[in-house]
Amino acid sequence: SFSCPMPGPLLAAAGRGLSAMGGGCGPLASAIRSKLAAALQPTHLQVLDESWRHGGPPGAESHFSVVVVSERFAGLAPLQRHRLVHAALRAELAGPLHALAIVARTPQQWESDPHVPARPPCLGGSKHDQRRD
Amino acid sequence: MSRVVWAAWRLGVAAVRGPAGRPLSQATTGGAEEGGAEGGGSGSGSREAVERLVRAHPVVVFMKGSPAQPLCGFSSAVVQILRLHGVEDYNAHDVLQDPDLRQGIKNYSNWPTIPQVYLNGEFVGGCDILLQMHQNGDLVEELKKLGIRSALLDAEKDQDKK
Repeated sequence: SFSCPMPGPLLAAAGRGLSAMGGGCGPLASAIRSKLAAALQPTHLQVLDESWRHGGPPGAESHFSVVVVSERFAGLAPLQRHRLVHAALRAELAGPLHALAIVARTPQQWESDPHVPARPPCLGGSKHDQRRD
Repeated sequence: MSRVVWAAWRLGVAAVRGPAGRPLSQATTGGAEEGGAEGGGSGSGSREAVERLVRAHPVVVFMKGSPAQPLCGFSSAVVQILRLHGVEDYNAHDVLQDPDLRQGIKNYSNWPTIPQVYLNGEFVGGCDILLQMHQNGDLVEELKKLGIRSALLDAEKDQDKK
């Protein structure tokens, strides 16, 4: 994990720069990271703000993708694994988190396949929303 | 395709069914029942209305936009995966056209995002899960159970002939 020590406007600018690279430095990214860590004790965790892929300004923190590798997923079907992730992020999903792409694997699965499928291209969906999801 | 993966998937499906054999997504999810602003009552987002929709066709998709013109990359991915398997005959519902349905379908499946895919009235997952099922062969098997022969099987046969 990395910290974001810069305050105020500098933080916003830094957040935009980092988010433009697909990283997650904003408050929602931090919340997602810490909640998933607490709920699932992942051996590998990647939280990416992908709002920029969906027409939002960099650092918009509306669309995220997460890669969660955890022994907690063992024996669970994909649907159940995703539900665990949703449960950990219930508050965020009821609020600003508009879309969430999930890769959920056990440590064994991640070791044999540490690749993440390519993200589908945005088709402007958020712009068609009259209200939030 | 790995039978272990298939068996694990079926186990997962069985595990989310309640004692009556019905998916737990149809059980009480608290606050999603009658009345209120959460799609209850007799509106298009009510439990009853959504139930009718998911059971109306073997393949039902709740998405943003339409199969001809998806308005979201994730919804488009679902359409494209189905198309790869030769599935063009299905019921698609554009939640952008109906806010009550948009909320109601999330209450029904207890799933926070769109798109949502239902096979034989049963919630299967969103774009990520459908992609996974496509990649590991589970989707071919699930379609087969619905009496739908995946176009990918014919594609493989054509390859064998070359």
